[in-house]
Amino acid sequence: MTPIFRRILTSLVLLAALFGLELGFERIVPDAAWRQLALFAMVNVVVALSLNVINGLAGQFSIGHAGFVGIGAYTGAVVAANLHVKLGGGPDAHFANSFLVMPVALLAAGLVAGLFGLVVGLPSLRLKGDYLAIVTLGFAEIFRLVIATAQTGGGARGGLGGLIARLGGQNGYAGPDDTGIPQYAGPFWIFGTVTVCTIIAWRLKFSGWGRALRALREDEIASAAVGVDPTRYKVTSFVIAAVGAGIAGALLSSMRDGNPTVQPDQFNFAYSFDAITMVILGGSGSITGAMVGGVFVTFTVKMIEQLQGLDSVQALKAAHPGLDLNALRMVVYAAVLISLMILRPEGLFGERELFRKLRRKLVPPRAARPVVAEKGAA
Amino acid sequence: MSVDEGRGSVPGSRKALELSGVSKTFGGLRAVGNVGFSVAPGSIFGLIGPNGAGKTTVFNLITGVYKPDLGSRITFAGTDVIALKPSKIARLGIARTFQNIRLFGQLTVLENVLVACEHLRKANLLHALLRSPLFFRDEEEMAVRALELLKIFDLDTMADEISTSLSYGNQRRLEIARAMMLKPRLLLLDEPAAGMNYGEAEGLKKQIRWLRDTFDITVILVEHNMQVVMGVCEEIHVLDHGETIAHGTPEEIRKHPKVLAAYLGEETPGEDEAAEHAARGSAEPGGAAPETAELS
Repeated sequence: MTPIFRRILTSLVLLAALFGLELGFERIVPDAAWRQLALFAMVNVVVALSLNVINGLAGQFSIGHAGFVGIGAYTGAVVAANLHVKLGGGPDAHFANSFLVMPVALLAAGLVAGLFGLVVGLPSLRLKGDYLAIVTLGFAEIFRLVIATAQTGGGARGGLGGLIARLGGQNGYAGPDDTGIPQYAGPFWIFGTVTVCTIIAWRLKFSGWGRALRALREDEIASAAVGVDPTRYKVTSFVIAAVGAGIAGALLSSMRDGNPTVQPDQFNFAYSFDAITMVILGGSGSITGAMVGGVFVTFTVKMIEQLQGLDSVQALKAAHPGLDLNALRMVVYAAVLISLMILRPEGLFGERELFRKLRRKLVPPRAARPVVAEKGAA
Repeated sequence: MSVDEGRGSVPGSRKALELSGVSKTFGGLRAVGNVGFSVAPGSIFGLIGPNGAGKTTVFNLITGVYKPDLGSRITFAGTDVIALKPSKIARLGIARTFQNIRLFGQLTVLENVLVACEHLRKANLLHALLRSPLFFRDEEEMAVRALELLKIFDLDTMADEISTSLSYGNQRRLEIARAMMLKPRLLLLDEPAAGMNYGEAEGLKKQIRWLRDTFDITVILVEHNMQVVMGVCEEIHVLDHGETIAHGTPEEIRKHPKVLAAYLGEETPGEDEAAEHAARGSAEPGGAAPETAELS
């Protein structure tokens, strides 16, 4: 079969490209800080893609996405670190071993985050708008604070409290022997996951399921009247979003050149807000939009860091010691978001896709052929 | 199951829809009180009454948007639908349109129609993710059927347009097309002729009859436009203030004193004015109307 052959060929080419990236990434991007940034941007793309399912396609406003990323990060870290110890440990994370560690870590992180998504989603998706937002925010904060505050005497107490306390509390989790989480997720795994997630997100959106979800966003009563069960679709989309966030979290905790510890404060409200910015900036519901948003938001942070290194900015800081340059990020965000609200309230792409038009031109719409036949028959 | 008592029903056949003792109160307000009627399969059934009579509420009760009060019974082809969710009721084969059009705004015309066959597809989410041959076959079959329906309603040329960009009349027709995509056995039309002129309403009458004959469905119509109601319905049920005041053929309803009273009020206007009043549907209950008056 030709289509199957084409699929296999595409997969092989993609796989080869990923291997090439893994081997040549340090040569392409020599600066470790930029490498870290590029990988972090890709993790954020996965975060944005997953949030886009629930916020963009299903139209439910979840503002606690960082919670699911955090759950995935901790699960992935625990799994990866323990497997690493089982495989002999040591300071190096060998690429060959990553094929044993990463699939398990990603799967576990996705499953656990998805489970939490189901538990949170089932009761809360009966709520609408602001109320759902509050519940999701509350969930993310509960997760963060439970981990952050569990260290005080928790270890001695045993039981569930003891288990959570072993995650290191406010100081962060650094593996079972405190040597840091092995950094197995190199360019191969991170770019590979981004590719797979993009394909999945695209296929979800452009399927009957995605269509029903978008219909639900537009009118819940009308979609129920044509047989689409709102609760079921909402919960499914919420779980899928949570799974995606969990996978992104596992990538984040094992990210090469990244932070070898997972800390609860990585997953605070600011991160949830960043995720929302990525989705809204690119255009709610748009997959390419979420990707552009993810990259843009990540690089804005870096840009402002770079800005702080400039002599003139340093001088300004010396003159006004009270000036918080990190807050500048929020100013830039606000400026970008406000101008976007005025100029393009639907986001950069709206619900449209960057390469959709092109694809349509190349491949005529599937229904076009039979319609002509239909006209002949009628 | 039940004794056939309605007119125009096929002897020995089941009722398409049966309501008995259906009531609905919102807080202290009784929107529908003890309404009962049965609809013969394959008939075109009219549900009329002045504004606020509870017609749309009855539709919402049938489709599960509202749950009726205790003691109400609604059966669709022998199945009790009261305990079911709206989506489940729709999947059983009850499709509807809405009084104030409810389309999926940001979706294209074709997509609007395609949403209505989600439950009919054989390819599940996994097929969609793998883009299996079944997925493509499914999508193609659905698209073909959807475009056929759009063609029936003269919407096929605008299949790729965003649905909110359509004209009012086209939006109304798109709603019917979407409802038909569900492969319903019962079609509930809520004021399909609203905002239509004489010619368009005549076209609608033809279309309703054609739909019934072609797809072998039962149609229930809520409508203020007497030209459409009297022209197309085989049986009419009249509500006023949530209660049944009359039931019968168009000829019987036209002359029914209670109906005339409900529509025309206590005043006894001349025939020409009566028609106008009826068209506007403005009315106060009570009082007798002159015997010569007719709803036209």
